[in-house]
Formats: sequence, structure tokens, C-alpha cells
Amino acid sequence: MKTAAGSKRFDFVDVTLRDAHQCLWSTRMTTAMMTPILGAIDRAGYAYINILGGAVFDVCVRYLHENPWERVRLLCERLETPCDALTRGQSLYTFELFPDDIVELNSEVFAKLGVKVLTVYDALNDNRNVASSVRSGHAAGLKVNAMMTYTLSPVHTDAYYVARTKELVKLKADFIAIKDPTGLLTPERGRTLFPAVLKAAGGVPLKLHSHCQSGLAPEVYEIAIRSGFRYGYTASRPLANGASLPATEDIGARARKLGLRTSLDAAALREIAGYFTCVAEREGKPLGEVARYDAALYEHQIPGGMISNLRSQLQAMSMEHRLPEILEEAPRVRKDLGYPIVVSPFAQYIVTQATLNVVQGERYKTIPDEIRKYAMGYYGRLAAQPSDEFLERAAIRPADLVTERPGEHIKPWIPRLRKQLGPSVPDEDLLLAAFYPKPLLEPLKKRAPEYEFRTTPLNELIRFIGSRGDIEYARVRFAGTDMTFAA
Amino acid sequence: MRKDNLTYEDVLRIVELVKTTRFSEFRLKVGEIEVHLKRKNGAGGDPVVLHGQPASPGEAAAPARPTAERSFPAGAVLVRSPMVGTFYRAPAPGAEPFVEVGKHVDADSTVCIIEVMKLMNSIAAETRGVVTEILVPNGARVEPGDVLVVIEPDPEDG
Repeated sequence: MKTAAGSKRFDFVDVTLRDAHQCLWSTRMTTAMMTPILGAIDRAGYAYINILGGAVFDVCVRYLHENPWERVRLLCERLETPCDALTRGQSLYTFELFPDDIVELNSEVFAKLGVKVLTVYDALNDNRNVASSVRSGHAAGLKVNAMMTYTLSPVHTDAYYVARTKELVKLKADFIAIKDPTGLLTPERGRTLFPAVLKAAGGVPLKLHSHCQSGLAPEVYEIAIRSGFRYGYTASRPLANGASLPATEDIGARARKLGLRTSLDAAALREIAGYFTCVAEREGKPLGEVARYDAALYEHQIPGGMISNLRSQLQAMSMEHRLPEILEEAPRVRKDLGYPIVVSPFAQYIVTQATLNVVQGERYKTIPDEIRKYAMGYYGRLAAQPSDEFLERAAIRPADLVTERPGEHIKPWIPRLRKQLGPSVPDEDLLLAAFYPKPLLEPLKKRAPEYEFRTTPLNELIRFIGSRGDIEYARVRFAGTDMTFAA
Repeated sequence: MRKDNLTYEDVLRIVELVKTTRFSEFRLKVGEIEVHLKRKNGAGGDPVVLHGQPASPGEAAAPARPTAERSFPAGAVLVRSPMVGTFYRAPAPGAEPFVEVGKHVDADSTVCIIEVMKLMNSIAAETRGVVTEILVPNGARVEPGDVLVVIEPDPEDG
């Protein structure tokens, strides 16, 4: 609905069930932690709820041993608010490229499971890599939200983003979003970038998705609201801030102060925040804290999810003390690699290469195969030419360079997979088989637990007490309830 | 005023008290709410430890330190893991292994892959010779310096 001037709205996309725990809880929020509070999330007044992304899909399979499609199906069924699912374009959920037929089938499965919005981005901002998603998403009846990833480098100018916006308008994206995975946007940059992108978008509604590492995100959202953005991605307060996105509560208050209408329900937001704080306490997960401004962030640009993962990786290797050196090497590696945007999977490339360079004590002694392929243009156009030192150590010759659309060099997979898995294999299973080797899929066959679809504060108190190994006796009396537990 | 609803604020206050106080027995009465807890061993004193397990990386990886303290034939070339990661013998699940014992390799032959943070690193033989041992099971976690493959180098030409 178009709104007249004077009654402008600002609306919200919830990321509590996706990016928020990706950044703060290493993506370890299980479906069972989500279901009790879905009713309140539905009442909170969000325009869309983002439920899936690359890391969520992957962690479901590898670590939580949950079938990600079952989660998507369940959340779409339970939530009346339209659900949004994010993919990495031609790479979908992984770090490899998939053929167009797999990307198309994925869009069809989304539509079948009840997803309403396909959000898609390419980590190189090479929009040739999102074209197959936009086309197949539309064919399946989905709205498509195309994201451009913001980064700081000598080549990522306002003009660069205006050019990308025009490409997305031409692709007929229903929404265009600016995605700032490392919280690098500043109010100053927003004042030039946002109006430029708004003008280039020619009426396509804009969304802002900015993380809070620098502490500036709420101010940046305010600039976006003033510039005419229609939506902001936000999280419930206990899972907001830090490496996550701003709190819905805070951005809602700012929007209203600027005279915009929102549909947020304060009581529902309080309930959601209380619930997730209890979950964090019970599960031993951290709460998001407002980050203090850190100038080094603008150098290393590593996304929050990566830092928490890298820290636990280094901890496992007893090398946590090398973290500062690695964060120092990261920007040098990035320059050598032609300024890739520091998001998955390229964030992993930079961090892994920087880790190898530091730990091995010699730069580029080992270069992962994917990084070599990236530098050859296999994944898409690079923002700038890699350094001579890198090209020499990687032994890349001009004849090795790839210029065609990445999807072009991959033959269709579905005929082979259908032959292998049988003609009656469900599309969901076929896709899982395309993404993962068989042994990884075995644990997904286990029965899902019985999910709770409602809860109360009393219930959460009891679950908290029950989670503690050190309490041998508990009695809770409240409003006619009298419960005793003994270990 | 009678309170007929326990709120999340109430719960979080109780949680905070449980976490920060060193009690052997805990009684709380706020309005209609009564909570009575007894802690094991009764001694108090011990810092409170949350029951939840923090997520750790490599949850699925099998530990394997097969080569810690052993010796190898003189002249044998040891291909060592340059990093912490997961050892794979083949380019893809179900594919032919890169090498088998007895196979002849060139210096640039890939002998295995080490996966680090989901990135695949091909490990080259760096020696012409014959594979005499493969010391790590497929899918095992390896540490820097672990010997992966042993190669008996070809005799020098001439």
C-alpha cells in the first residue's frame, strides 16, 4: 500500500531467529528454542521474519542435526507474518557454486514450504550471480529482495553502489537492501550513499541490514529512515547489538520520534526479550552488548560471526593469543586479494589465509584451493586486481582467468541426482543430497522432538532451575501452583 | 495489590539471584511468588557454573593423534599437516583416494586434503617417490606437524 506524505511508515524485518544468533550464539539456536515464543513474535508487528540463511542451513545439518527444511516448513506454518529466507545466490547455503537447475529447485521448494520472500545476495556483488535466483523466485511466486553488500575500499564508492542498484532494478527485484555485515556504515557515509541509492532504485522499496560492531548502527538506521528507506532489519533486545543488528525496540523508538508510524507491539516485544534472556541464561549463551566504537574494525572488517568462530577455532588450537596478529594480517591479505567484501565465503578466505600466513610464519606458503579459484574469477568478477605477490605465489597465469557468468560453467545436476536417488525422491531430499555428502545427512533422519508452542515466565523459571546441576531441591509456589522438584 | 502474573522481569531477577549468590538454601517471597531452593553439598562457596555447554568447533571431528612419538625409516620424506583441520584422502566423498600405499607420486601430486574452516587445502607430495604409509584415517582431525603420509623418495638421477 502506498502511503501519503505525513502518514509515512517504517517497518521491521526480524532477524532474531537467524542473523542475531548467527552472530552472538555461533548459529546454535535450535528449533526447540524458537517454537515456544512464535506466538509473541507473530504479535510483535513485524512486516517479515527472516528465518533462514546460509549459516543457519549449514549449522542445522552439521551441528544441530536438524533437517533445515523441516524448520522452514514448521516456522512458515506457525507464523502468520510472512517469512523471509536468505540465500547466497548461486552458492545457496554453501561455499561452492551450484548450477542454475539447483538454484531454481531451491526457489520452488521455498514457495512450497511457505516462504514468501527470497532474499538473495552475492558476496562479490556480481549480480550475474543473483539473476538465476530472481528469475526462479519470481517464477515460483516469491517476492525477491536483492541485497548489495556494503564494504569499505578504494573501489566501493557511491557510484559503484548506484551501478549495482541499477542492475537490480533491471532484474526486477521487489526490494533492494543494503547489507552491512560488519557494521562499517557511518552516518556520514549514509548521508551520501542512501539518497544516491534511493534515487537509482526508482521507487523499489529499500531495506537496511546493518550490524552493530562499531556501535553506530542505530544512528545509521536513523539516517536511512530520514532518507526514505522503508524497512529495517532488527533483533529482539537480548539478541541485538554487539556483532548482531540493532534492537527492534530502539529503532522503533527512533522511527516514532522522527514522526513515522510503526506496527510494533511493545508488550509482545517485552515478552520476546524476556523469553530469550531466559533461554540465554539456561543455555549459557551470551547476551548482545552495545559495542564501543573501535577504529580497528575499519581496518580488519571481520564480521562478528567470524570473530566468534575464529576465537573458538583458535581456542581449540590453543592459539587464542595470535588473534591480534591475525586481525592485523587480514587487511593486507584483503588488499592482495583485490578487496573482496568481508562476508561469507570471502571473509573465511581472508581469515583463513591470514591465519595460515601468521601461523606458518611465511605469507602464502599454503593457499587454499578456493582462494586460488576466487582469484581466477571462477566465483564472479573481482572488485580489483589481486597483487602480483599473490598471483605469483598462487601460480595464476592470464590464461587461467574466467570471464563467463559463474553459473555457465556448471552443467545441470538434477538429471544425475534423480537417476541416482530415484524418480520419487522429494525435492527437499534431492537438494540436501546436492549440498551434502550422504553421511552428513544420516543424523537428519532422527525424529524431531515434540516442540512446545507456548510458554510462560513460570515455565521458563522451572526450566532454568531444571537446567542447573547444582540444585537438588526446588519448590515454587505461585498463584495457586505449588511445585516441588528434587534431584 | 495481588499479583496474578509472574513476569519475565520477576524470573530474571530470580535467575540473577541464583547466579550471583552463594547459597546452600535460598528462599524468596515476593508478593504471591515463593521460591525455595537447596543447593547440592550445601557448602555454598563454589562459584556457580551454568549447566549449558558452550558450542565448540569440530564437534563432529574424531580426535586422532596417531604420529606423536614414533620413528620413520632414514631417508623417508614425511608429509606433515601444515595446520589444524580435517584430513581427507579423496577429493569428494565416495571418490577415488588421491593416493594409496605403493603408488608413485610426483612433487606436485596431491596426496590429501586438509579442510580448515570449510576451506579445502590440497597437500602436495613435494617429493618424487613411492607412498609407503598413510597414517591418518579419513575424516580425522589433525594438528600442525602431524605426519600424514610417508614417501620413500626416488633415487637421485644419474
